[in-house]
Amino acid sequence: MFCPQCGASNADNAAVCVQCGRNLQAVIPVPPIQTPGVVLPPGASMQNYLVFAILATVFCCPATGIPAIIYAAQVNGKLQAGDLAGAKAASDNAKLWCWISFGVGIVGTVLYILLIMLGLLSGLHSS
Amino acid sequence: MRIRVQLRKRRVLAAVLLLGTAAIILLRVFDPATSGIFPPCPIRYLTGLYCPGCGSLRAMHALLHGELAQAWAMNPLMIVMLPFVTYGLVSAALLELRGNGLPEIMLPAKWIRAFCVLVVLYAVARNLPLYPFDLLAPGAMLHL
Repeated sequence: MFCPQCGASNADNAAVCVQCGRNLQAVIPVPPIQTPGVVLPPGASMQNYLVFAILATVFCCPATGIPAIIYAAQVNGKLQAGDLAGAKAASDNAKLWCWISFGVGIVGTVLYILLIMLGLLSGLHSS
Repeated sequence: MRIRVQLRKRRVLAAVLLLGTAAIILLRVFDPATSGIFPPCPIRYLTGLYCPGCGSLRAMHALLHGELAQAWAMNPLMIVMLPFVTYGLVSAALLELRGNGLPEIMLPAKWIRAFCVLVVLYAVARNLPLYPFDLLAPGAMLHL
């Protein structure tokens, strides 16, 4: 086992840590650190996408970013209330609105680039 | 199968990081106010109104040049939000990379809703031609 205090490797039945001397018998087993590929039980890592919702509001489209923030709030609210299914639904909605905002942002940028190119072309034409 | 998903995620993450770095370099080199290579805010372009995000690119340009006052004047709300957003983005990247992000700050739903209201009020205030609200318009604080 690994010492929860210093991380040193100890025998599984060790009473104290060989490195730092911490009592290992009274230690409550620490939940294993999630490693890539470990499937979490549903609800364990409920994302609210708040950061992306804020980014979407600022950089993409406030009109579609605000619903994403509202759903992000709903995720936390439902998690606090213990409503896992509701939190999952809100999480999916938050994600959806983030993607919609992102799409609007991309379309806007592409349109802008097209407009500039058209402007350049017409500029070349007239000169 | 899982390894393949992991590999794909890492590729996506690498692409996103690359794009992010490119964006930061572009923002450092070119001034969004004058260069014209960054798209203007569509809302500003179509309606003439400032949105909550207006001035963000100019603020980041100023920040990348260490001009805090200039950045603050362009979009104070964005400057306030930046540390939180950065933390969240780093956490999201770590979540993809190693399966767990930074310690999550569980915000009460009420706070997030209040933030939402703040964003809307901020958008309205920036457009009011009324002192002191007009100071929130991008760059207005530079002309005090």
